[in-house]
Amino acid sequence: MKKLITILAISLVSLLHAEDPLAFRNDSAAVANDISFSHLSVFLEGGEIYPMGDLMDAVENALYGGVGVRYTYWENVDGVVMFQYAYFKPMTDIYYDGVHQFMGRVGADWKWQLIHPVILGAGFTCSWTRADAEQIYYTKRGGTLTDNETEFGWYARISLPVFKYKEYSAGFHVMWEQLWTLPERSNMLSAGVSIERSIW
Amino acid sequence: MNSFIRKMISALAVSASFAFASIDAEMEGMEVVSRDDGTFLIGSPTFYFDRALGAGGIHSESELWTPRKLRYRQLFNRLSVLPSWDPIETPSVWMKTGNEVGDLIYQDFLTDVEDRPINRTPILEVGARTPLFHGLWATFRLFQDDHYCFRSAYAYRQYQTDGQFSFFGENWPMFSSAYGGLGYTNDFINASVLAGMEYMWIFTESSRWIPVQYKPRIEARADFGNFSTTLVYENAEYQNHSKKENGERKEVNGSVIYSCGENCKRSMLQLSAGLAFRFVNDDGVVYTALENDRVLWPFLEMRVRPMDKLKFDVMFGVNDRDWLVQDSVEYQVPAFDKMNITVGAKNISGTRLNPIADTHEFFDGDTISLTASGRMNLLQGYVRFEDSLTNFLGFGLRGSFWAEHGAETFKTEKFVKDEIYTFRHGDVDRINSWIKGVTGEFWLKLWYGEMFNFTALTGFERIDGDEKRFEVNPAEFFVAFSADWLIKKMFRISHSLRYRSDAEWNLRSKDPFIVKGDWFWDATFEQRFPKYGITLAGSIIQALGKEVIETPNGDYSRIRFFCTAKKAF
Repeated sequence: MKKLITILAISLVSLLHAEDPLAFRNDSAAVANDISFSHLSVFLEGGEIYPMGDLMDAVENALYGGVGVRYTYWENVDGVVMFQYAYFKPMTDIYYDGVHQFMGRVGADWKWQLIHPVILGAGFTCSWTRADAEQIYYTKRGGTLTDNETEFGWYARISLPVFKYKEYSAGFHVMWEQLWTLPERSNMLSAGVSIERSIW
Repeated sequence: MNSFIRKMISALAVSASFAFASIDAEMEGMEVVSRDDGTFLIGSPTFYFDRALGAGGIHSESELWTPRKLRYRQLFNRLSVLPSWDPIETPSVWMKTGNEVGDLIYQDFLTDVEDRPINRTPILEVGARTPLFHGLWATFRLFQDDHYCFRSAYAYRQYQTDGQFSFFGENWPMFSSAYGGLGYTNDFINASVLAGMEYMWIFTESSRWIPVQYKPRIEARADFGNFSTTLVYENAEYQNHSKKENGERKEVNGSVIYSCGENCKRSMLQLSAGLAFRFVNDDGVVYTALENDRVLWPFLEMRVRPMDKLKFDVMFGVNDRDWLVQDSVEYQVPAFDKMNITVGAKNISGTRLNPIADTHEFFDGDTISLTASGRMNLLQGYVRFEDSLTNFLGFGLRGSFWAEHGAETFKTEKFVKDEIYTFRHGDVDRINSWIKGVTGEFWLKLWYGEMFNFTALTGFERIDGDEKRFEVNPAEFFVAFSADWLIKKMFRISHSLRYRSDAEWNLRSKDPFIVKGDWFWDATFEQRFPKYGITLAGSIIQALGKEVIETPNGDYSRIRFFCTAKKAF
């Protein structure tokens, strides 16, 4: 019977949609081992973003600010969700002053026990942009950003929370991000400071 | 769906998850995009060619009617999971969004307008199902897939509709669907009534995309005892705005099936029987027709199990126009019990692969017949062997031979060019000679508990016969490497790397439309929170491969990324 099922499975794999993707919550061992959200903290951060590669000719360095939530995922691994904002000014002759950019990131941070307090993180990022323009000239350079444009990518980040006081911590971070744009990928480096407060 | 079918499906799904990496589909019914065991060519969410390499015959799976597709959608003459009206069974909320990668963002400042890459387009889905309240529950779902749509939207399709043709945005997506409704579930009955509206582009035999707006669509289902019943009402509006054509189809369709219950399944003879039906009433220009405006399709399923290791399955359907038989026999060779050898044979015979589909299409004064006289006959014999060498390593192989006579095909009389598209005139016809095929598949599996499993799978197929040109000459070779990691039962990585050789569409353009072979990589990264019933997932689909059009008059299959969040109640 097992073999029959496997044979059928090969031809009927389109039925996979019937599987309950949330069935893992019925696994009592998985639930017992789940320490997620046992700690949760929020943070504020700010810094500067440096366009890299060919983007250096496209936009100026920009200041950014944001908020985030950090939660326990495994013992040495935190889950992180971040929202950030920056205003990018064009380097070239574009008919508007700048572009609003909102960034959402979901990823994980690994707390390196050997070299305390280094935290290495990575995850996916999504940037939503909209030009600060009154008029829409789609056929001019920069025109695509007068409509909403979104692009996904990935990031890698090193954080150094060197200061700690009661439930507060603060430190520096450096982040590399790549958006999957065309004709070339878009790379940016950012550096900043953050202050974090543990909630529980 | 009745409990037997549901159990069968979940058994299949569980076993399938060992055979294949569980890449998340961008939408329910789009699993074919990441399948790696045959020829899967996607022209749009509403039209694709899907044929597993060992399946036998030259048709694709979605062209064939079977009783398990009773609740599939009838998209012209194909049966499709998408757009799915199957209520999600787990009380939960979910949302999904993504985009084809490759927008410009600040590259726009550096790129000449004429050098801009074509716009990339998103997907969107939100939905919820409530927990039971005295057996009552409610659900809603809004979903739209804007992939595979942009090139044809502004080059052709926008002129066919009067204004916007979707719930969101201006991309002219190939479908956009929204519905909501109520259900009632207890130990004896599982019933639901859903109502909604849908925009859809349906691909036809003439190779046209026809816009259809379902306004409204209402679907009622009730499963009780060993019975499953479905009743659907559709008011479908047709239009070609540039030609000032309008039409309307009011359709009632559905099915009732009695399935073999728990007691019956223990007996030697297992019987199920059912009826599928469609009644239509066309007004104005509808572009397709169903003969006599109705089809009634009674069918019978039978399984005979004279002994544990031997079983016969038969499905037989017949009405005044058509008949269709699908039967199989399978035997586990007892002499080689430890080696797990199975031999089997299957047969599909009938006058039509999908006897409940429309019978005619109307195209520029021409009537395209969607039925062919005579019958088809497909025979396949196979042998399958699988063995576990240790508790972490297994391998298997499957070889088959098949022969088909009277295969459904299309006899093209004329091609017509229009803007970016090529259309065809002609009729559905038969290949009245034998087509023969031999297939071989080999797989190797490695696993470590439930933490890790890896499958390497390869297959080849050689097709021969007097007729060499089919609608699709499928890929002759594939190889796929897929793996699932589940770390600490909380973090899942599923990915698959695969190669498919060239496939060729022969009958929808004057010169063959060749889909070049290529490598693809798909991956899903998922955070699970078992205590809270939450998942957060990101998936990359169709990476590595060159972005090409995979079906005639289809649109580009692009690298895309989407993320999904779900919370179970």
